[in-house]
Formats: sequence, structure tokens, C-alpha cells
Amino acid sequence: MNPIDFELLHQQLGSVCQEMGRALQRSAFSPNIKERCDFSCAVFSRDGEMLAQAEHIPVHLGAMPASVRAAIRRGPLGPGDAVLLNDPFHGGSHLPDLTLVSPVFVGKRLLFHVANRAHHADVGGMAPGSMPLATELYQEGLRIPPVLLYRRGRPERDVFSLFLANVRGRAEREGDLRAQFAANLLGAARLRELAGRWGGAAFAAYGRAFARLCGTSMRRLLAAIPAGSYAFADALDGDGTGSGRLPVRARVTVGRGRAHVDFTGTAPQVRGCVNAPAPVALSAVFYVFRCLTDEPLVLNRWTMAPIRVTLPEGSLVNPRPPAAVCGGNVETSQRIVDVLLGALSRALPGRIPAASSGSMTNVVIGGTDPAGRPFSYYETVAGGAGAGPAGAGASALQTHMTNTFNTPAEALEHAYPLEIVDYAIRRGTGGAGRHRGGDGVLRAYKLLCDARVSLLTERRESRPYGLAGGGPGAPGRNMLLRGGERIPLPSKANLDVRAGDVLVLETSGGGGWGRERRNPKSQGRRERDLVIGL
Amino acid sequence: MIAIDTGGTFTDFVRWSESTGLRIHKERSTPDDPAASILQGLAVLDPEGEEPVVVYGTTLATNALLTRSGANVCVLTTAGFEDVLEIGRQARPRLYDLHPVRPAPLVPADRRLGVDERIDTAGKVLRPLRRAEVERALDRVKTLGADSVAVCLLNAFASPRHERMAARLARARGFDTSVSHEVLNEFREYDRFTATVMNAFTSPLLGRFLARLERAIAGATRPRRRLWVIQSDGGMLPPALAARFAVRTVLSGPAGGVTGAVQVARRADSTGRAGRRLIAFDMGGTSTDVSLTTGSVPLMTEGSFEGFPLRVPMVDVHSVGAGGGSIARVGADGRLRVGPESAGADPGPACYGRGEELTVTDANLLLGRLDPRGLLDGTCPLDAARAARLLARLARKLGLSPEAAAEGIVRVANARMEAAIRAVSIERGHDPRGFALLAFGGCGGLHACALASALGIRDVLVPPHPGVFSAFGMLHAPVSRTYSESVLAPWGPGLAPRTEASFRAMETRARAELLGRRASTVAGRELRFERGADLRYQGQSFELAVPYGARLERDFHAAHRRAYGYADPARPIEVVTLRLRASEPRAKAGPRPAAPTHRPRTARHAEAAGRVYESGRWRPCLHIRRETMPNGRRVAGPALVLEYSATTYLPAGWNARIDTAGNLRLREGK
Repeated sequence: MNPIDFELLHQQLGSVCQEMGRALQRSAFSPNIKERCDFSCAVFSRDGEMLAQAEHIPVHLGAMPASVRAAIRRGPLGPGDAVLLNDPFHGGSHLPDLTLVSPVFVGKRLLFHVANRAHHADVGGMAPGSMPLATELYQEGLRIPPVLLYRRGRPERDVFSLFLANVRGRAEREGDLRAQFAANLLGAARLRELAGRWGGAAFAAYGRAFARLCGTSMRRLLAAIPAGSYAFADALDGDGTGSGRLPVRARVTVGRGRAHVDFTGTAPQVRGCVNAPAPVALSAVFYVFRCLTDEPLVLNRWTMAPIRVTLPEGSLVNPRPPAAVCGGNVETSQRIVDVLLGALSRALPGRIPAASSGSMTNVVIGGTDPAGRPFSYYETVAGGAGAGPAGAGASALQTHMTNTFNTPAEALEHAYPLEIVDYAIRRGTGGAGRHRGGDGVLRAYKLLCDARVSLLTERRESRPYGLAGGGPGAPGRNMLLRGGERIPLPSKANLDVRAGDVLVLETSGGGGWGRERRNPKSQGRRERDLVIGL
Repeated sequence: MIAIDTGGTFTDFVRWSESTGLRIHKERSTPDDPAASILQGLAVLDPEGEEPVVVYGTTLATNALLTRSGANVCVLTTAGFEDVLEIGRQARPRLYDLHPVRPAPLVPADRRLGVDERIDTAGKVLRPLRRAEVERALDRVKTLGADSVAVCLLNAFASPRHERMAARLARARGFDTSVSHEVLNEFREYDRFTATVMNAFTSPLLGRFLARLERAIAGATRPRRRLWVIQSDGGMLPPALAARFAVRTVLSGPAGGVTGAVQVARRADSTGRAGRRLIAFDMGGTSTDVSLTTGSVPLMTEGSFEGFPLRVPMVDVHSVGAGGGSIARVGADGRLRVGPESAGADPGPACYGRGEELTVTDANLLLGRLDPRGLLDGTCPLDAARAARLLARLARKLGLSPEAAAEGIVRVANARMEAAIRAVSIERGHDPRGFALLAFGGCGGLHACALASALGIRDVLVPPHPGVFSAFGMLHAPVSRTYSESVLAPWGPGLAPRTEASFRAMETRARAELLGRRASTVAGRELRFERGADLRYQGQSFELAVPYGARLERDFHAAHRRAYGYADPARPIEVVTLRLRASEPRAKAGPRPAAPTHRPRTARHAEAAGRVYESGRWRPCLHIRRETMPNGRRVAGPALVLEYSATTYLPAGWNARIDTAGNLRLREGK
């Protein structure tokens, strides 16, 4: 295929994914999807290899190929069908992420699949928001293996009613699922139009050319890494059930355009919910290498062909069912990235930045509002980015495996019995160094009614590492202000809160880079006091 | 009447009156002192100072924001929210980026001052704002040496009382003051605060400049000239009001083009079925603006500027950083990339004689799609040999013939244009095949036919003087301003009294601002008010704009179905924002986009023979002057239609004629 046609098809497939995302965002109902854009869209080949993605959420994009494979394995699909799934052990990542996969037929021929994944505000389970401090998968919510949600374009009423009977806020869930289906329909229509314009042969040629580009690009980028074996270790604060620190270790061996990423030595799977299913771990591996190139690689078998990944079975990075997993996708994935970048920093000291905040800082607040309506609100809070050879780290930014937006305080307060009382950058929390790490964030929520809170956070004890002589970022902190009292909270918690309580989340700063030249006291500013005070 | 459109390289002038007809002029821009080129151009085009009205499209606020060279601003905000302007939406612009960089906040941290107060989303005061608290903050503003204050309090859209008090005190102390509920009375604090800060940043500057310009142009002429300033939403306002809401002029230039497009749409050839529905395609040297119109100026409120949200009403144009100057390169992976880097005006495309990079314009020249004698009727000659050298090098890297490589550059550039057209049409549920493509700007006519083919569009229109069409559009700008108010309440019969009161209040404000002490408009008529509402299903976050009227609900369900593929009449609807557009009807019809009266200075043959490369081979190609095309005569492609301000390329299989409205109308097929 000539380079011009290739570029045209490449852009057009990318814009199909973007259009899907836009339709999903604008017609969805839960703030997590519509305000925070916690969703991703992609196009796959007929046999399930990813061809294009929109720039959505890295942890989704890297783990979606497993969903499409699971949907294909379920059995042959017809036009207008759509498969729903969330089972972390059958193509999912954690239960709130609902993935919808649709085949795309042109005439009678299956040419593509389209898929989108969205993080729903609730999928049942022991706590509102389905991100609880669980000890087994069954507590985390409704587990959905690949099932048909739409058959020939019509909703499967039985599946809908079974699902909606098990979740909080059924109207919102139903609306979000319809928006997900509409997004797939739109993607399919656009692909059929493109197929009509280009013809099947052009797409086959494009698939071959894209496969070649993925493989050669990955090999080229691996060949540019000095050959050697690079090990690094870091740790999670714990699983929330008293595990203590959990080591995550990786050894990256590179040479002759190939790599072996070996997680041997990583902690065994744990009772708490920070186990990361294999697709999540793979997603983090892909992310790290993808950051080393400007080429438009996506995760498929061609891209990953030169990389061998060893994920010890029964470990934190490849748990067996029915391990609890809701924090693996959001927290452990970030630590895997820290460890892999740490290993690569030994090979590429001039390129790799220090650790970023290393936690998505997940918070769910749910209950029944003063008007008697059930509510469940989920969000994640940004932190500091790691500094690097190129300069200081950015403050208050989503890093690595996530890139969700915040919810405006005015939108949040309009929809929920919550009041934001303080939202600030934690000055001076980035690690010291020639280039300072980015600063973390403080976000304080006042409860206007009794509610239940789930916290899944990290880097409250361990600190994001600095590099090349730079200092670590300051750790984060969680606390509850109740009647003049400051109650420290652990990194992971389920708790009941009362009207008038203030929940304060402080995220970690990024690591610094390079030895500091000036007097450390002259750099950075002190954190200010809480606005709410005591 | 004279319209002036200040661009990066040239300032375009269009003069129109019943007696003189339409005349155009171009003057080199003088970025250091924009007034200089304006006065120079006026002296050339209207030496006697006969035209009483000057309409001005300004890039002053735009440039101040781009170069961060505006006023010295302090922000007064709710304590605890000082960092909202720095945290933004917490997301990074590029996904796979080991070193994400975000733009520095428009106002640094030490100039964002918190005041103790709080109002909730229902407008209830939770903590009162004390006068002493404001005075203390204003003392600090003075100490910091700031001259402009942005008052940005949380939930001010729900109740403006605290903002009003702070603004009163700030103005009493002589600070230029921008207030969030006045600049953008809508919810979502980061968006509202950003617009307010941008306003505080640009307003003093624009105020000083316009006052000076107004004096200068009034003094130079016998009848007292009135100056009007084009807003981003296509309306024009007197200088004082325009300066007070300077952030609303950021898209002043593209607004002119869209306003012109609407005029063409309203006056299209009676035979053109697609006449009223146009996709305006304005392709210049460094950027391309695309918009869609069905007979009125399309507006949006979800724009952005330089990585910051800009939610003030502006013409709904989708801009891409690609144009004739976009640079073509081959990457390490062997892919051909076109843009986003641009050769700009300096050094410009290689064929302008100084650039070392191959651009889309160079490719067009080497494919035979530009007059080899040069641009602007040959007053700007082109260096084809220089471009050919660079093309040969690029073609070798691609393993293609030079012609195939050049054609490839054009096709890749077209793919970006096509994506932009899709963004305003298909992505919003409009089928482009039901529209005509209106092509203008220096490069629009070169790419229009290929884009139309790709999108299934049958009609292409090129207006007269396509190269100065934006200035032409400004001649048609109405006096108007858009007002908005966030309501955030479920729709139902009980809401009507409240919305009615809101619209009345906006109308009162419009009369005060647009008429001032005048009892009626210039034309002696009432202001015209158009009501609109942004609606959504309760629980959604994005709104669809529909006219406010009896069909409100039905219109909303239909719009939702069109945009997202489904509607759900059982779900409750929420009214998010009410919008009022107040405008002053024009006394007289403006100029028609009539056939050019501007004649080239040098005599030229009406027709010449050239050749063009298309679909893999060289073919003979007719070169014809637009002025010599008689009404109704058809010209068959391949052909180039030449005129002073631009060139139109007609591929094989297309034909062209001048329609009764003076447009060049291109169609594919017989």
C-alpha cells in the first residue's frame, strides 16, 4: 500500500474512534463518563487485533484487546449484536469498567469490531461505587462474562433487567449503556461508509501495512535501548487488609530489538483488592514502551511480538480468580509503570523521568441524599508529575495510566449533597532536585448528609522516587475532619461519614530529577493551611 | 461603508457604497502599530473620507493572549479556589508523553487572592462577604502593582450579589474590573473564571487602542466617522462596549468570513437547491476555518483557545492548523506528514523564494494548479525551480515520482481538511451531501473540488474576491450581542414564569447596552431578540441548543436523535442555559457580492493553455480569467480560474459557470 493511502486510512480510522468517544461523552449520564471522560474507544480487525484508538485512557486502551478476544471466543456474532462484559478473568479489568464489543459487517462479511469501555458509577456489590475494600471479587459487584446485550440491534431485555436489578442508580446505568451502544453503532456506520469508499482489498492491504509498521517500530525502538538487563523494585503501601508493603519487581532485558519483561519476585496475590489481572499488567508494559516513540502504535500482537512478558501466576500482576481486583486497575497499574520506568532509567538515564504521584486516588461517596434519592459519586484526584531531564514536573496533573478530567465544583454541588471546601495545589510537595517534581493536590469535600465512603489510594506511606540525585515527592495523606478533630485515615478504607464531616484527600508530589544546585531552602514554597481550618 | 480585516501578513480593506460600488485593497500589516496600516489603507481607499462607517475586525485581543502581553491582572476569588485557574481540568493534552508540559496559568499564584465568602449552587449565601475583606484584597492588588482585576467567585451564576459588591469596590478604586457573571454567566467555574481572566488581560489594552483609533479616523475626515468592532459571534459593537468585553473579539476574523457566507447563502442563485445550506471553507496560509450554516450565523459556546476553554459565544468554526504553508516531511518511519508546522508568512513556501521547506502551496504550483506567472496578478512571482528541487528530494525518500509525491502532499493535506469538514457536519449529525461547499481564503478554491468529491458534495461555490471575503462579510455584520444565563432547572410548565423573567431581564440589559440613551436604533426600529435554550436530559452534562418556543421539547428530542442516534421522550429535560441574541436590524440591504469591479492593472489574455497533473498524468488545462467568464457560459475542467485574490482549480469531470449572484459555481458531472 502506498504511503499516501496508508496515511489517509490511518487518519480516518483514528477519527472513527474520536467520533465514537464524542457521542458517548455527550449522551452519557454519569459524571464519571460525561464530565470526567473515564472511557475509551477503539477499532479492531475482524480477528480482534487493535487497528486504531482515540487518545482516551491508557489503562483501558491497553486492556481492551483482551475484551474483544473474549467476545470473539464467546461465539459467532451477527450484524447488530453487541457483547457486554466486565469479568476481570474473562477479558475485563475491574468490574465498574463495562466494555461493549460490536462486530461490523459490510454486507455479509465481518470486517471489523468496534469496542468502547466506560467506567460506570456503580455495578453493585458491598459498597456504593463498586470500588470497596473487598477481599473477593464477588463483593465488588456484578460479574458479567461476555453476554449478548443487543441481538440484531434489539436490547436483550432479560440481560438488561438482570443487570439493572443488581446495581445502584438503574436509570443512570441504563442511560449510560444506551450511550455506549449508540457509540458502537456510530463507529460501525462510519466504518461501513469507509469500506464502501475504499473497498475491502484496501483495508486488507492497510491491515498488512499497519502490522508491519507496528512490528518494525517496536523493534526499532527496542534496538535504540542499550542492550542489557535492568532491574528495579518499588512497593505498594498495602492491600488495605493489613498486608504491609507489597513489593513490585521487574527485570527488563533488552537486546537485538527484543525485550523480556519479567515480574518474578513481585508479591503473591493478596487478600485485598489491589490484584491486577494480566491484561492490566500488559497494558502498563505497553504504555511504558509506547511513551518512548511518537509512532502511532497500539497494543496488538504485532506490536507486542518482540516483547516477552513473564507474569508469575498467582501474583499481584496475574492473580487467580476470585481475587479482588478493583484497585489493581487503578493503583497497581501505576506502580507497575513506576517500576518499569525505574528499570529503563538505568538504560536511558537521559530520557526517563522520576516517578509521578503513583496513585489515582480513587474516592467514592455514596448513600441517600436529603431528598431520599440514592447517589453514588466516583472520582480520581491528580497529583504531581515526576521531573525529568527535560525539566520540572507538572503540578496537579493526571499521569501515566489515567487521564480523566475533574468534575467542576459547581457541577458536583449541583448534582450531589457535597460541598467542595478547598481545592488547592500542595506547594512544595514535589521532590527536590535540579528539576523539581510537580506538586500534588488537596481536595476537601464537606458531606451534607450521612454517607458511605470508599478510598483506594496509594503513596500515603511510600514516596514517588527521585532520579539522578533528585529527592522523592512528598507522600499523600487522607483524613477526616469531624467536630474539631482531625482523624487520620489509612490509604485504603471503607467508612461511614456523617453530615458535616469533611473528607480531605492530599495526593503525592512527583519525584525530583538531578542533584539540587542551590540551597534547598530557597526552592519551593511551603504548603499553606487548610482553608476550612478547624 | 468600509470593512477592515487585520491578518498576520495583510490587512484587507473592502469599501462599498451605492455610488462607488465595491472596491478592495490590501495593505501590509503593521503588527507593532496596527493603526498605521489601517490609516494608510483608509487614505488609499477613501481619501476624501466619504464613508461614515468603519467596521473593524481586530486581532489585538487574540495577539495579546497569544503573546501573553496583556494587562497586569489580579484575581479575586473564593478562598480555597485560588488554584482552580492552575489546576484546570487536571488532564494532560497528549497521552503518551513522559514529560507533559502544561501552559503556565494566565495569572501566577501570588496574584490570585482568596476572599472569605461562599454561595451555594442554589444561590444561598453560606458565608457572607465582608466589605473589609474586599478592601484588604484590593490593598494587596495595589501593592502588587496590578491595574486590572478579575472577580471570580464560586457559584456566582446562581447569585451575583457578592461579585457585584466586590466589583463596585474595585471600580471605585479605579481598577479596570472584569466580573465573571458579566463576562460569562454560566456554571462550571474553571470555564467562567478563564473567560473572565482573559477579559481582564485584554480589556484595558483594547480599550486604549480603540479610543485612539476612533480619534484618529474621526479626525482625518469631514463627516464624523463611526467605528464598529466585530465580535467573535459575528455581531458588531461600538468601541467602548467591545473593549469592556474584549474576550469576545478573539475570533473576530473568522466571524467575518462566516457572516459573508450567510449572505451568500441567503442570496444564492435561485437554481441552486443547496443554496441556503452551506459549508464555509476558509483556507488560508497557516490555518483553515470550517463552519456550517443553514441561513444564519452558526454559533457555539464550547470553544477553546491555546489550550484554555473559551466558552463565550463565537461563530462555530472548526479550525485546523493547516493551510497552504503547511510543511511536508517524511518521518523516520517512512510516513509522509503534512503539517502541523507551517512556513507561515516568513519565510513562506519555498516558491516564495526564501523558504527551505516544501509546502502544500509548492505542491500545488508544481502540479500546475497555480498561475506560473505568480500570485496577485503576477505582482508576486513564484520560484518553481526552488520548489522542484525540494520536491525531488522528498520524492526520493518516498520512492515515488515527484508528481506522485506532490499529489500525495495535496491528498494528505486534504485528509485534514476533510476531517475538519466532518467535524462540523457528520460528527454533529449533518449529512454534508445536502450542503454546498463555499470555498474562499487564499487557498480554498484549490482544494474545494477534491474535498467535495470525497464527501459526496455536488455543489461548490467560490464567491467573488475569495481572498478578501472575510472583510467583505464584515460589511454585513449586524449590531448585536448575545446574552446568557444559567438556569439548571427541570423543564416544565412551572418554569415558564422564571424563564420569561430571565429573558426580560436580558432584554432590558440589551437595550441599555446597545441603545444607551438613544430611544431607538439607528434605523429607528426596535431591537430584534432571538431566544434560545441549551437543554439536556436530566443527568447529562452536555447540552443541545434549540430555539426557545412552543416546539422546545420536540426540537430537543429531534436534535438529540440527530446528534447521538437516539431520543428518550420519557426522560425529563433540564434547562441549563438561556440565551438571548439582541440585534439591530439593518436600515438598508448591504452590498451584493457582485461581479468584481476591481480590474487587474496589467492587461492579460482572457485565456491561455497550461497543463496540470492529476490522477497520475499530465493533461492540458485551460487558464481563464474570472472577469472574462460571461454569465452562463460553462467551462469544463481541467481548468484554472484566475483572479486577483485567489485561484480556483477545476479538475477533470467538473465544470464551472458564473451564477446570477456572481458566484463561481462548480459541479461534478454533466
